[in-house]
Amino acid sequence: MLASPVPGRVGATAVGLTTGSRRSALSSRHVLGIGIVGGALSGLLGVGGGTVMVPLLVLWAAVPQRDAHAISLGAIIPISIVGVLTYGIAGEIRPGDAIALAIGSMVGARLGAGLLVRASDRTLKLGFGIFLVAVAVTMVSAR
Amino acid sequence: MSTALTLAILVGFGLLTGGVAGLLGVGGGVLIVPFLVLVVGVPQHAANATSLLVILPTAIVATTMLRRRGIGDLRSALQLGTIGAIGSAGGALVALALPAPTLRKLFALLLALVGLRMIRDTLRRPRSAT
Repeated sequence: MLASPVPGRVGATAVGLTTGSRRSALSSRHVLGIGIVGGALSGLLGVGGGTVMVPLLVLWAAVPQRDAHAISLGAIIPISIVGVLTYGIAGEIRPGDAIALAIGSMVGARLGAGLLVRASDRTLKLGFGIFLVAVAVTMVSAR
Repeated sequence: MSTALTLAILVGFGLLTGGVAGLLGVGGGVLIVPFLVLVVGVPQHAANATSLLVILPTAIVATTMLRRRGIGDLRSALQLGTIGAIGSAGGALVALALPAPTLRKLFALLLALVGLRMIRDTLRRPRSAT
């Protein structure tokens, strides 16, 4: 176990809904592996990378489901910044479509994150599994 | 399609993907990209680029909210994201250089396997799951 000081704000909160006991500081092996895979898929397919980072965080790094979702969302921020810049330089972005979608998705993100706070890890895992299978089906049938 | 209608559809679809993103910890791109390509008729590369621009504010909003509730671990997230950013630049450059339908199918297969495993885990393990 590494003796890294973990910021106190993560642990004991009044909410008490996180699994609490297990904190999710990642080993450098996990950070490197999951970061590279998630980032590369993000850039390649124009997605956030969460579809691979969440399963890797849960199944490989043994992070509790809810924390994995939250960590993935945070990781998506720098990843998508770089993706936007790379594609932006190539002149591929459609700002009109992006703004309209983003208006909706920012509201949706608040609602979704609100649900994430309350849902059990089991429900989240089941939901995520169904989501992955659904995405796989769309991807195969789309092309 | 009228402009107003297109706009309404885009905002509505954004609401849906944002909800999924915030709940499941993903960016929502796996929904946005096919939607832009198949429904709106945006070319693949432009869809990837536009999707990433939508994902960014979505992830910021969700992360801000979760952080306020003390969920997750922002430091791990940013470490992961920093390494991920390097991979992302590489991935985007590769994507711009080649069309990737085969890769898409392989990726879909991988997702299906992982998804089935997660479903199986929850069904097999009784309620007491950690």
